[in-house]
Amino acid sequence: MIQNVIKKALLLTLAICVALIIAHPAYAEDKPIVIGGSLPLTGKFAETAKWIEKGMKFWADEVNAKGGILGRKVEFIIYDDESDAKKAVTFAEKAITVDKVDLLFGGYPGTAARAVMPVAEKHKYVYVSMGGHMKSFQQGYTYSFGGPPLMGEWWYEGFFQYMKAMPADQRPKRAAVYTMNNPIGASASSTLAGWLQKLGIEMVINEKYNLPLPDATPLIVKSKQMNTDILFSNGFFADGVMTLRAAKALDYRPKVIVQAIGSVIPAWVKELGKDGDYIFSGTALHNKLNYPGNDKLNAYIKKKFGLPGYPVYFGFGYAWMQTLSQGVEGAKSLDQTKIRDWLKSNTVNNIAGPMSFDEKGLPAPINFCTQIINGQVELIWPKEVRTAEPVYPRPAWK
Amino acid sequence: MGSVYALLGIGFSLSWGVMKVINISHAAFGLIAAFLAYTLLQAWGLDPILSIAVSVPLLFFAACFIYRFLITPITQAKEVIVSSMILTFGIAIILENLMLLIWSPDPRVLTTSYTSKVIIVGPFYFQYPRLAGFLMASMGVGIIQFFLKLTYTGKAVRAAWQQPDAAQLYGVNLKRISMITFGLAVASAGAGGVCMAYLYSFEPHTHSLWLIYLFLVVIVGGVGNVLGAASAGLIIGVITGLSLAFLPYQWVNLLTFGLLMIILILRPQGLFQSEV
Amino acid sequence: MVSSSNRLVFGVSILLFLCLAIFPWFGLPVYFVSLLFTVFMFVTLATSWNLIGGYAGYLSFGHVAFFGIGAYTTALMMKGLHLSPFWTILSSIPAGFVAMLIAMIVGYPCLRLRGPYFAVVTLCFAFVVDLGIKNLDILGGPEGLWLKSPDLPIETIRAILFEAMLVTMMLSIMLAYWTSRSKFGAGLRAIKEDEEVAQTMAINAPRLKIQAFALSAFFPGMAGGIYAYYLTYIHTDIVFDMMISILIVLMALFGGGGTVMGPVIGAVLLTLINEGLSTFVKAEFARIIYGCLFIGVIIFLPNGIMEFFKKEHRVESGISLAENGGNRSAA
Repeated sequence: MIQNVIKKALLLTLAICVALIIAHPAYAEDKPIVIGGSLPLTGKFAETAKWIEKGMKFWADEVNAKGGILGRKVEFIIYDDESDAKKAVTFAEKAITVDKVDLLFGGYPGTAARAVMPVAEKHKYVYVSMGGHMKSFQQGYTYSFGGPPLMGEWWYEGFFQYMKAMPADQRPKRAAVYTMNNPIGASASSTLAGWLQKLGIEMVINEKYNLPLPDATPLIVKSKQMNTDILFSNGFFADGVMTLRAAKALDYRPKVIVQAIGSVIPAWVKELGKDGDYIFSGTALHNKLNYPGNDKLNAYIKKKFGLPGYPVYFGFGYAWMQTLSQGVEGAKSLDQTKIRDWLKSNTVNNIAGPMSFDEKGLPAPINFCTQIINGQVELIWPKEVRTAEPVYPRPAWK
Repeated sequence: MGSVYALLGIGFSLSWGVMKVINISHAAFGLIAAFLAYTLLQAWGLDPILSIAVSVPLLFFAACFIYRFLITPITQAKEVIVSSMILTFGIAIILENLMLLIWSPDPRVLTTSYTSKVIIVGPFYFQYPRLAGFLMASMGVGIIQFFLKLTYTGKAVRAAWQQPDAAQLYGVNLKRISMITFGLAVASAGAGGVCMAYLYSFEPHTHSLWLIYLFLVVIVGGVGNVLGAASAGLIIGVITGLSLAFLPYQWVNLLTFGLLMIILILRPQGLFQSEV
Repeated sequence: MVSSSNRLVFGVSILLFLCLAIFPWFGLPVYFVSLLFTVFMFVTLATSWNLIGGYAGYLSFGHVAFFGIGAYTTALMMKGLHLSPFWTILSSIPAGFVAMLIAMIVGYPCLRLRGPYFAVVTLCFAFVVDLGIKNLDILGGPEGLWLKSPDLPIETIRAILFEAMLVTMMLSIMLAYWTSRSKFGAGLRAIKEDEEVAQTMAINAPRLKIQAFALSAFFPGMAGGIYAYYLTYIHTDIVFDMMISILIVLMALFGGGGTVMGPVIGAVLLTLINEGLSTFVKAEFARIIYGCLFIGVIIFLPNGIMEFFKKEHRVESGISLAENGGNRSAA
């Protein structure tokens, strides 16, 4: 009986292996430039990934209409890693070694990028992505670029610059900080203590929570009891919404509510409406920035999806591809090391502005501060890019 | 929060107890009801509570259909529990991705006129949606208890649970009873899903999170014990609420799971003996 | 009869082992080495899980904890002791022992629970370990741990890890094979059939269960250690992913619980099919087909794929786990 089992099992396995290998499409040479990698198209991070994908595809259509890069059209191989960083690693290797892609595109979220960065480095492939916050850029990788990065450590930089410019007696006095216990939460909150001290704001509450957040009511009750007048909610969408709703329900009225990245997706404005207003946050790029390309993207998004401006992650997908393609065009080659060296020594112009990368693969810190006003994400700081007057202090709940 | 998990979990417990079917797709059905409630609210302004009237019958028939064509074939398996787990895992994946196709991955939030109202009783704050969820869940649990204890079909379900062979001898049509139980179980998930949507934002992936919690609540309460599940849910809620006062918030989830472990070790049959 | 079948099994396994062992040295794309590496990992996990879940009928939903503990032990040892690459691979062995030790400590109280209660207590255990590491900054905390990758070409690194995982897998299958024919395995089966009866037949059930649980934790711990080294970045969300726990259970049962080859077939099939689907089919549809696969197979083979191979040898129908639990608690 056992022989029988082994025999049949072996045959089955062999058949599948062979099918996998043979069935794989082979790519002929000097056809289009193939750009490969994986995105979490299903599972936990699907929402964000779909926007990144749209941004990348929009870029490809635009480039192909203009005749491509180096005279060759571009084409994507996008795998679905099911929001699993382990899969992201295998698919990156697949793109590099089996599909022999010409270029690698950047992944999401930070944990996946953190896991893929060493792989890209080992295979010597340029990897332009959001990166995995500051710590991942300090590991000595030379092929990884944050172009622009989604950097937790920089996220509040613009907000604090804005606070600094405000007369000291108008600033909030007591801060409540609630941070989700994951890489982005840890990076975003790492700069808080220093800044708050500099601004003379006392950090009364500094709590972390693990996802999923069961209930936000206790957090808000505590903030209210401690009389805090600035609330940092360093969370994702789900916990951000709960915190905000609890704040409204308990009529907690801080002068400022700051959200990390939960408020940057379109669902925030769409689902929360008026309640979602007046939230401060940061960003690395914005649809109202006066850099070439933004108008075009906004027009496309408006026509196709009926949104007033492109979502941040759509912009990220587009900007990473811009950075990568400028590297290719600058190096006039698909040689990864040449692209890397070009990117390290030249300035790239993408929709987030001009940026030149240091030895870590990072541009100069980007510090835009945003606020949601009347359902629109407006730029608040730096002052020269301001698109609306900030609403401060926060008006009462409606 | 606890009672809502209890409502979501009752059906899970029922199908486990009566038919030995572990329904991994249970929470996914609840999520469908939540999405339906959202769509009806957006399109016609229908109150989510009323949407239950639409989603519950719909889920009931869908479940009967699934029972007839997918679960019947596996009831002859050596271990129904094991086979049903694999089967319903498949259903859960399909449902999740159908939702992804129909409703897109955007997270949703149910917003009604009473979303941000609150009642303050002494040092306790009760948010309206939580209260509504609690009341609805208690009603749901009550209705199911009533059904099981007082109606003929309900009694047959209990009989089938405790002594399947004897019940059959007394003329209980096991197949039909099982189908109705499964239908009811999934339909109650629909009501539970809407309650959950009052409290939390949701997206197609959320069901796996709900599943883990309802699993905990159901088992700690005692499989098949409706009141047990409700009490276990309440205990989890109280732990979460109280622990913030005494220790850093980041330890709350850990404490909850740790305490559940200890409860189980001390009471190996769950908090309450499992009986209907 | 038995000895000739034994010899055949040995011959085939050694041949298979050698075939697989030379695989990475053919200069095939690294991806295939990595893919097989992943397959081996899941085979190891599912086979080990089968000891406690398949033979003894104790469905552990927390096995990812042992995988994660192994990964973190290796990572911390490497960081703390500044190990060279060679020693790091060997350090997955102590990682396995750490996982085993923890399994014994946890198993002692938890194995008194039965059926669904055991399933949930192990689930809680996995969460507790996950959250504990997340909350303690000395263990990496929310940021995770980075490991230094050795200065070798990627092909060599992958090949070394491939061999390490292959050996781990072979050892775990050998253990499963031995279990299936030993008194130990028979004891576990008796426990699954009816624990009370087993007790009266002079089977020391508590001891056997602890042994099985500890053994079933050892290889996942080792696999975790090797995997940590493969990934070079360790985070609780990655190595304590609840999906791994669920996958292990499904793979073992999909193939056929309580058999030697069942978990192997389940793990190989599910991993490869999933990979193939992600490659050729658009995201959501790939998942839907994957779901249909579970339904389709289980409707026709309710007892797992192994049934397909031994249709003629119907195994005696056992009392199902929940019936046991249910009856007992109702009584």
